[in-house]
Amino acid sequence: MVTGAEQLTIFTVDLLTLFAIYAIIVASLNLEFGYTGLPNFGKMLAIAGGAFIAGFVPGRIAFVLVKVDPGLEYCANNSRVMAAISGSLMVDPFLAIGLFLLTLVIAALAGGLLGFLASYPAIRLRADYLAITLLGMAEALRVIGYNYVPISCGTIGVGVADVFAWLTGPLSAYRSAVIAFVFLGIAALAILYSELLARSPLGRAMRAVRDNETAANSLGKDVVRMRMKVLVIGSGLAAIAGALFSFYTVSVFALTYDRVNWTFIPWVMVILGGAANNIGVTVGAFVFVAVRKLIVQFKHLLTPYVPFDVVWFDTMLVGVALMLFLLYRPQGLIPEKSTFTLSVDRLRGIIIRKTRQPVPRSAPASQDREAE
Amino acid sequence: MLPPLVVDSIIYSSAIALLGTGLTLAYMTTKVPNFAHGTVAMTGLYLCLTSVRVWHSNPYFFLPVAFLVGGLSGLCLYLLVLKPLIGRGASLVVLMIATIGFDLFLFSLLNIYADYLSNAFGITSRSFFLRDADFRISQAGIFVVTPPLPGILIVSLISIVLLTGFLHLGLTRTKFGVAMRATVENPALAGVVGVNVNLVYTISWFLSGGLAGIAGMFVGLFLAGNTDLGNRLIPVIFAASIVGGLGNVYGALLGGFTVGLSEILGTFQLQSLFPGSNLLVYQPLVPIAFIVITLLLAPSGLTGVDRKLLLIRLRAVFSWLRSIVHGHGR
Repeated sequence: MVTGAEQLTIFTVDLLTLFAIYAIIVASLNLEFGYTGLPNFGKMLAIAGGAFIAGFVPGRIAFVLVKVDPGLEYCANNSRVMAAISGSLMVDPFLAIGLFLLTLVIAALAGGLLGFLASYPAIRLRADYLAITLLGMAEALRVIGYNYVPISCGTIGVGVADVFAWLTGPLSAYRSAVIAFVFLGIAALAILYSELLARSPLGRAMRAVRDNETAANSLGKDVVRMRMKVLVIGSGLAAIAGALFSFYTVSVFALTYDRVNWTFIPWVMVILGGAANNIGVTVGAFVFVAVRKLIVQFKHLLTPYVPFDVVWFDTMLVGVALMLFLLYRPQGLIPEKSTFTLSVDRLRGIIIRKTRQPVPRSAPASQDREAE
Repeated sequence: MLPPLVVDSIIYSSAIALLGTGLTLAYMTTKVPNFAHGTVAMTGLYLCLTSVRVWHSNPYFFLPVAFLVGGLSGLCLYLLVLKPLIGRGASLVVLMIATIGFDLFLFSLLNIYADYLSNAFGITSRSFFLRDADFRISQAGIFVVTPPLPGILIVSLISIVLLTGFLHLGLTRTKFGVAMRATVENPALAGVVGVNVNLVYTISWFLSGGLAGIAGMFVGLFLAGNTDLGNRLIPVIFAASIVGGLGNVYGALLGGFTVGLSEILGTFQLQSLFPGSNLLVYQPLVPIAFIVITLLLAPSGLTGVDRKLLLIRLRAVFSWLRSIVHGHGR
């Protein structure tokens, strides 16, 4: 029997892990929509791409490196292959961690490539064309992932190499807690990256594109290039989140990646929390993950009283919250702050250095020069 | 006479053409692509299910009701959500995400209704087939039709013809149509000369929703109905609209047939060309490929293509090909 305290621990750890994954997704969407104003209605594309990479890369590499009976078919005997791989990763933590990090890097690269390819047909067109194209491309990837067997074993789904298998013995009790902490750490890095990017010259140029495209263009900013760059960065980040989700569930199944959970809900989180504010969107992600988990957790209390499945309350809540926030609090819970600029002292220092003496190329002031 | 596959693809294409036209009608006026259009159509689908399984009646009697229910959904979206947002100067991205919010809301209502139907009446309210409720045409005059054609084929084709006629007459011959075209061209100027721009917007959203409701009812009579069918149709509807030029109602009709026929007949032909492959499962990729190709080659759609320029370019391509062929001949 699971006691109440244990149940609470399981609930909290699961909540934190999901929150970490959504925090990364929301940080990436915040870069795209919040700072640059891009309508990425295909957020699911990069997430599913990252998940497919997590289902493909570590398993195949381990299949070659680790002693697995080569007679086994990767897809047909997937559970036996995965058991053999887990057995080896259990005693080889370095291989496991290496595989984990390598997968995240490849997922980020693949996600960036997907973001570039999917947006290419419409990147020069108006926002509505871009939104429709990205939405369609995300659906396309889902259809391909579900039907093209080599990616994630098609309709049966594929197991993901368990890179946390080495948490054995006394450590195994802390397995989910370790996963949650690792994921929260990665999420913190992603949010930090997003914040640094937003404060950089590129971040200011992104906001200029969002607020007045024509003005930004007239000041020499290449708007199309900027959109491409932001979509590639955002998709790379989202792909990392997708890979992490697969490592958490230890499986990839193409139909898990649907529009509501992986595109629309991140949008609601961004709008509820406050677009173009990293703290705001993170709070939005936490509130939404918590509320949705609570609804699922306590749905049995409500089930006897309503003649339908309680999960539809959840969908209705998402839709109604989205519309109400857009109508009555479009700036979100925590509104966007004014742009961060350098302090007067530092600006004065830069001006003195630039006017009195030539600044060497390797000077620490390089980060202050306009990168774009 | 007609193979069942052709019949199916024609019905499917007319439903998509109806949906694409409705989407375009709303897009033309307010310039908001309605991501909830597919779910609005599903109100018609569930009305169809209710009329057949609960009221044991002929679904065709309820076509006006489907028009009304769909129209009211479209009206709700416009009046309660979009109009206040437009009034506050919301950006296009915000308007699009607002239609998604409405889509989620309507989707949950449909699911609740589907649960209610199966609990209260014990009928299958998900993945249901209603083909048996349709009438069949086995004789036309002196001709005997084998296999018998589904009635929905005739009804959907007639409604496409009627719709085209009414649209054309309405847009060119009535005062409202002229006001509508003026609003599409330049809302501010139309307002100055006395057109009630707001009324035009409201009516076009009602018509858009109404057409979706009717299309939903047609879809219910030959596809497996489900609450998420609308969400699955959304890329196809957008493909039809974009191929037609996203902003031209006749284009959307043309686009609907282009996309619908290629999706079903085209993939089937490809499959028969490569018998060993499993191409049929990739059918949903066809509309997305249409979106990509249209945006890359002719972003303004079929109706926006410069025909003279196209002819010149085609001639250039043909003469180039001929030179290659002659070169090989020598």
